[in-house]
Amino acid sequence: MQNEVELTPEAAVRAVMRDILGLSEEQVAGFTAETELFGALPELDSMAVAGLLTELEDRLDIMIDDDEVDGELFETFGNLVVFAEMKVTG
Amino acid sequence: MTLAPAFVSYEFADRKEFCLSFAASSSRRVMLVPPLFDEMNRMRKMLVDVMRSLHALNISSLLPDLPGTNESLIALERVTLADWKAAVQACAEQHDISHIASFRGGTLAVADIAAASHWLFSPIKGATLIRTMLRTRIASDRESGLTTSLAELTARAETGPLELAGNVISPDLFAQLSAADITTMPDQRIVRLESDSKPSDVQIAGSALWLRAEPDDDLAMSAAFAQDIAGWIGQ
Repeated sequence: MQNEVELTPEAAVRAVMRDILGLSEEQVAGFTAETELFGALPELDSMAVAGLLTELEDRLDIMIDDDEVDGELFETFGNLVVFAEMKVTG
Repeated sequence: MTLAPAFVSYEFADRKEFCLSFAASSSRRVMLVPPLFDEMNRMRKMLVDVMRSLHALNISSLLPDLPGTNESLIALERVTLADWKAAVQACAEQHDISHIASFRGGTLAVADIAAASHWLFSPIKGATLIRTMLRTRIASDRESGLTTSLAELTARAETGPLELAGNVISPDLFAQLSAADITTMPDQRIVRLESDSKPSDVQIAGSALWLRAEPDDDLAMSAAFAQDIAGWIGQ
C-alpha cells in the first residue's frame, strides 16, 4: 500500500476544480486568486458545488458546516483557497 | 463493427434484474458493481468502455443493475443497502463470479462477499454520498426559496422517505448508508486516481467523472482500468 501524501489546501482545491471542470493540468495551473468561478463557469452549478464541498472535506480531512457556505466563497478561486487554508489550520 | 453487449439477468427476491454482459471465449470473468445514485449515471459509459476493453483482453464481464436502479421493477424507495448487498451476492453466485470490481459507492454493496477477490476503485463511506446528496437538496430548496439545513433534512430522512437529488430514499436506506464505512476485504486491491493522495495499491491517471456536471467518459482511463483488472485477475 502506498502511503498517504500531504496535500496543500491550494493543491487540493486546484485538483478538485480540475476534476469538476474536466480541465487539463495546464489549464487549471493558470487559475489565479482572481479567477472567477460561480457564475463564470457554467459547469459549476449547485450540484457541482455540493460535490466540490464533500470532495474537499474528503481530501483535506475537514468538515464544512452549512453556515460557512455562502455565495462569496465561490466567487473566486482565491476565496476558496483561503477558506480551505483556514479550515485546515483550524 | 462495434461489439454490442448482451442482456442477461439474475434472480433476486423473486424478480429478475438485468445485467449487461460481454462474453469472451476464455473462462476469466469479472463482475462490475457500479457507483450509486447520480454517480452511476455519470460513470455508466465509462464502465461499459471498461467492459469493451476487457473483452478485447479476452475477459468476460457482467454489470448488474442494482434493485431499484435502471430497468429494475422495484421502486428505489423500497430498497435498502442490505438488499443491494444480497442482490450483488446472488448475482455473483448465479454467474459463478470470483472476481469483483466495484466503483465508489458500489464498494459498499460488496462488503459481505469475503470469499471473492476485490478490486475497489475510489472506495467511499456511505455518509460521504449522503452528505453530497443532502447538499444538492439544500441547493435546490434554496433555488425554490426554501431554507433547509443538513440537520433538518437528516431528521426528516430518519422518519420518512426523502427525495434527495432525484432519488427517493427510505429511512432504512438512509440509516444503513449513513453507517456504512469503508470495509477492508481479505483479498483486495485499492485503486485510486493519481490526483487522490489517500492510501492505495495503485494510482491510475484519469478523471473523477463522478464530479462532472454531465455524464462523460475517459477512454484512456477505462483502458487503463481494464489493463489493471486483467493483471489482477491473472491467467
